[in-house]
Amino acid sequence: MKRLTKLMAGAAAIALATAGCAGSGGGSSDSSGGGGDKTLTVWLMNGSAPETLTDALNKEFEATHDGVTVKYEVQEWNGIQDKLTTALASQDPPDVIELGNTQAPSFAADGVLTDLSGDVDALGGGQWLSSLKDSGEWDGMQYATPFYAANRVVLYRTDMFQQAGIAAPPTSRQEWLDAITKLKAKFGSDPQFQPLYLPGQNWYALLSFIYDEGGDIAEKNGKDFKATVNSAEAKAGLEFYKQLVDASGTTAPKDNDEQNPEQAGIYGQGKVAMMIALPWELGTAAKDNPDIEKNSSAFAIPSKTAGKAAPVFQGGSNLAIPVNSKNSDLAKDYLKLLLSEKYQKQLAEAGMVPGASTDLSALDAKPVSKAMADASKGGGKAAPATPKWATVEAGQNPLKDMMTAYLTGAKDLDTATNDANTALDAAFKG
Amino acid sequence: MTATVHTAVPAGTSPPAPPRARRRRTVNLGERAIPYLLLTPAVVVMLVLLGWPAVQVIGISFRKLDLGELVRGELVWVGFDNYTKVLSEPEFWTITLRTVLFTSAVVAGTVLAGLLIALLMRHLSKPVRVALQVTLVLAWATPILAATTVYQWIFDQQYGILNKTLVKLGFDSFQGFSWFSSGTSTLTVIGILIVWQAVPFVCFTIYAGLLQAPKELYEAAAMDGATSWQAFTTVSWPAVRPLVTLATFLSVIWDFKVFAQVWAMRQGGPDGESTTLPLLMYLRGIAGRHFGVASAVAVLMILVLVVLTARYLQLLLRTREGDIS
Amino acid sequence: MNKTRGQRLALNTVGLLVAILFAFPTYWLLTSAFKPSTDLLTPDYDLVPLHFTLDNFVSAWQKPGFLSHLTNSLIVTVGAVLCSLVAGVLAAFPLARLRFRGRKGFLLLVLIAQMAPLEALLIPMFLLMQDAGLLNQLPSLLLVYFAITLPFTVWTLRGFVQGIPYELEEAAMVDGCGRFGAFRRVVLPLLGPGIVATSVFAFITAWNEFLYALVFMRDRDKQTLPVWLSTFKTVFGTDWGGITAASVMYALPALIFFLIVQRKLVSGATAGALKG
Repeated sequence: MKRLTKLMAGAAAIALATAGCAGSGGGSSDSSGGGGDKTLTVWLMNGSAPETLTDALNKEFEATHDGVTVKYEVQEWNGIQDKLTTALASQDPPDVIELGNTQAPSFAADGVLTDLSGDVDALGGGQWLSSLKDSGEWDGMQYATPFYAANRVVLYRTDMFQQAGIAAPPTSRQEWLDAITKLKAKFGSDPQFQPLYLPGQNWYALLSFIYDEGGDIAEKNGKDFKATVNSAEAKAGLEFYKQLVDASGTTAPKDNDEQNPEQAGIYGQGKVAMMIALPWELGTAAKDNPDIEKNSSAFAIPSKTAGKAAPVFQGGSNLAIPVNSKNSDLAKDYLKLLLSEKYQKQLAEAGMVPGASTDLSALDAKPVSKAMADASKGGGKAAPATPKWATVEAGQNPLKDMMTAYLTGAKDLDTATNDANTALDAAFKG
Repeated sequence: MTATVHTAVPAGTSPPAPPRARRRRTVNLGERAIPYLLLTPAVVVMLVLLGWPAVQVIGISFRKLDLGELVRGELVWVGFDNYTKVLSEPEFWTITLRTVLFTSAVVAGTVLAGLLIALLMRHLSKPVRVALQVTLVLAWATPILAATTVYQWIFDQQYGILNKTLVKLGFDSFQGFSWFSSGTSTLTVIGILIVWQAVPFVCFTIYAGLLQAPKELYEAAAMDGATSWQAFTTVSWPAVRPLVTLATFLSVIWDFKVFAQVWAMRQGGPDGESTTLPLLMYLRGIAGRHFGVASAVAVLMILVLVVLTARYLQLLLRTREGDIS
Repeated sequence: MNKTRGQRLALNTVGLLVAILFAFPTYWLLTSAFKPSTDLLTPDYDLVPLHFTLDNFVSAWQKPGFLSHLTNSLIVTVGAVLCSLVAGVLAAFPLARLRFRGRKGFLLLVLIAQMAPLEALLIPMFLLMQDAGLLNQLPSLLLVYFAITLPFTVWTLRGFVQGIPYELEEAAMVDGCGRFGAFRRVVLPLLGPGIVATSVFAFITAWNEFLYALVFMRDRDKQTLPVWLSTFKTVFGTDWGGITAASVMYALPALIFFLIVQRKLVSGATAGALKG
């Protein structure tokens, strides 16, 4: 009796195993061998594509790819470097990963991403955001595609502007400084009021000012980068930053950045007229203070030249396929779908600058995201697309130290920029 | 240096030879195997799960092991390159010195405070003692992320309760005072945080040791007319001395390796002035995924630790401290 | 030691002051958990919370995964602590009481084993677990925590055993117990306080560990509490109220563990006296 049961169990097992083989004929164009159900593991980051988008996307992908299940896992940014490192080195890495655009060059240079150079057109290459395209490129080959970007704008209180007699949002640096003066005149009697909340280490804002001067923090030198923090343009940008800090008399810490303490929380307390922030920070502020949303809007960071918007620092993400992935063709199909017009539009609707679509119309719906779209149209740049930049961001950022030293008066302009330049050059070499 | 108690039979004298001469050989063999058998679980776990990875770290320190090599499983030997890179770092010796000084200060503070509080605990009435123990355990149990966050809030320049309280007490210069403007002050705040979470272990360990000292000895000392200090030196101290040494030694090792709190507070700033060796390992190695360099720093850290604890290791191996006690 | 009333009062006052000092950061964490998040950045003087809310606890409780992460954390932590204690007690006895060859070598092994920085061991440990096929399974974490807590458990328990006067065992052996009987009947009960100290520390070490938990466990349903706690810090900013509330919820099991286990401290103490 026992033996019979065993035989039957064995037969059943064999039957089940071979059933999969017979059935998979049609659907997937996967070249890594036939037979059996496939699982596509996708790792996207928390806060990227909204759930509605990914749910619809995964459903559509599974419907069009027979026998394929999408194992979609949202990852946290906290500790993702270590997690990705070990996952990529493991025997079953995920098939699609999202990389911050400052991290992508590092992974590309390590040779752990699949070369997508041949698929650029199929993946919507014609509409790619150039700064994100650059961060996914290494040694002439394309290792990562764009995903989405975001840049900073100036969030402001429409009611305060009205009361201070400011007719329209500033469109030049001078108008900006004038606005600060007017706000101070109207509200300055309240010791807690700040016309512009600007902490000492918001280097993203600083970059915008430097770009506006026509400079950058580094220039490409073949495959390497050479720091240009002590150039005249960079110094001018830093000087303007100080001008803003001094003019507004902000009580924000000079030795910390915009997340410590969280500037959205401080804006939410209602005593700040402006802050340089990402659009979603308004939502964060509104959690504590729902009224603030209807009293706020945004304008693009003004340029020195009247009427223009300053070029912005574009933060964002790339998408890539680990080189050890066992389902690279399926993964490419997934990327094709994610980067298609349909889903890129949904990204724009969710308030992000789509990485693979030049259609930013969905962003115009809300004034805050419209400001972001306008700014990105004005030109965006990202951090130097070198693998070494990832280390700078993960470690000690010389720009931050430079800003604090200059703003507190610990170092003068030349010393501060020279020191940062040396440190950055050392980082680029190391 | 055995845990002797002067007024009684010295504790820890050598165990007598096994009684009964009959069947001595088999008894001895059996007895000889016992220590090894008892040690087996611990030895196996430590060799396999700690020893082997540690040996590998030493090996990796002589390789270039970036993410690419790791993923492709490549072996690229680079000799002493990683070590040269680390040792030629301009700040390396400053950072090492800073780490040693920081560790010493934190350990001294922890052990001293732990000892004093443990001694105090013996003389408290039950409700106060339990209250104190509960606050200690809560400090111990607080997750590091939460503890670092709370300390940052307390010491915050603008909104910290410490500055607000000082201003309220009349010290107006503390309005908007930054506790993190220099490496030393930053490390002081970090040090207080670490001591806060480290004292409970030392305190409970020493307290447990104090409880083991038989009451009769204290009574005998009292009858002999000893003062509190004399009771301490003749009864309490011998009972806890090995534990104090132990706690110091363990604290040196742990505090030297501390990373999370130092990183979370100011990421080694301002201007790299609160960077310690564990942070260097992270910055030069792990942050850029250069695991060969990270391993080299780790090996150097172990070497420094061996030097720091050399005296204790020596005592352990050469004298009776290492012997049966 | 008999103390006068005045001395006792003075000591109790000092004790209370120390308790208050130690409790302050915890107090701050607790009150922050009950504050609405707007109050976390207020210029007003708020030694006592100005407003009180349970919202943070509600949202932390509702944040998906608390119970499953809690269960996983309990499994690996309690498991590791038990293993560590058993192996530790077994090892402490010969190291403190017996003479045998290789003892000093073993002592050295235990000492040096504690010196390697955990972050550097990550890659080799990861490869080891991968080869053993244990990745993404709770036993891998249990083994890691067992290994991490074992050296100091052995070392500390050895120290406690050394502190127990040997003549107690001698007395027991004279009464007819064997070596181990003596150890079991006399030393083990007296080790109560030592076991408390080491087990609580082992518990807290394993309970708080983040890096290996993050890297070894891939699936969400296998992750531990520290990873859950890190999800409060998102790209949209940190849910500070949530983190403080979550941290309070997170520290509670450790406190409960201590309270359960600290009874031993009392019973161990009263059993301490030299008999006869």
